Amino acid sequence: MSGAGIPPGKIGTWWFLASEIPVFGGLIASYIVVRLGSAGWGEASGHLNFTLALINTFLLLTSSMTVVMAHAASQENNYRSVANFLGLTVVLGLGFLGVKAVEYTTEIAHGFTPAAGIFWSFYYGMTGLHGLHVLAGIIVNVVLWIGALKGSLAHHGHRVELAGLYWHFVDIVWIFLFPLLYLA
Amino acid sequence: MSNAHNRHYLIIWVWLLALVVVSVTAVAVLPKFQALLLIFAVAIVKALLVARNYMHLKNERVIIYVIVLIPLTFVIILLFALFPDFVYRG
Repeated sequence: MSGAGIPPGKIGTWWFLASEIPVFGGLIASYIVVRLGSAGWGEASGHLNFTLALINTFLLLTSSMTVVMAHAASQENNYRSVANFLGLTVVLGLGFLGVKAVEYTTEIAHGFTPAAGIFWSFYYGMTGLHGLHVLAGIIVNVVLWIGALKGSLAHHGHRVELAGLYWHFVDIVWIFLFPLLYLA
Repeated sequence: MSNAHNRHYLIIWVWLLALVVVSVTAVAVLPKFQALLLIFAVAIVKALLVARNYMHLKNERVIIYVIVLIPLTFVIILLFALFPDFVYRG
């Protein structure tokens, strides 16, 4: 069970992602047990906009594909493609946040604020924290995108893979948040 | 080389979208309990598809699996440790 041969950056990224598992996992575990022990949550979640959540699922799943394609292009030193795929990833991530902003605005306008009940506290806590992670991923991808356009990323191609690992993790979190909040 | 990779990534993406359709359909046509079982099974499959193919976990060394599985195990323990208190509390 040796880590020899694995780049330190990759080990560090996986350590970081491992530290994120209890953060989201703790929230999700708490949500599940509190929901199972409380009545009336189905009614509250019925006020969420399922269509917008479905659009966001599509955007995030697609962005996972584009960021891994950026990684594949970086392995071939094709930094024009890297820039294109990272740019697409950023646009899809911004689309996700834009849709989320529309959702929040509508819900708050209808009185469903974080203080409207325990479901709403969980909803804003989990999706808000996830949204902040999406924002952080967008910032990282924008920095890499600029590097790909300027040519400076050619010396640090492995960073595309590391940023991609983080982005996929954020996607996986959404894969669980979507059914928990919108389908269950 | 990159084209072959991208084709594989595209196929995984199609699977992911198809599984979303399965989840949404399950909620519409199945009884609540069966639908819940199916949508969470589908979520786990989707997460594995992303982890194994997009994060390349299927090609990683054991140490990476260990790093990921330790906190995941603690989360699952947390879930089952809290479960009786909340669900069976009067």
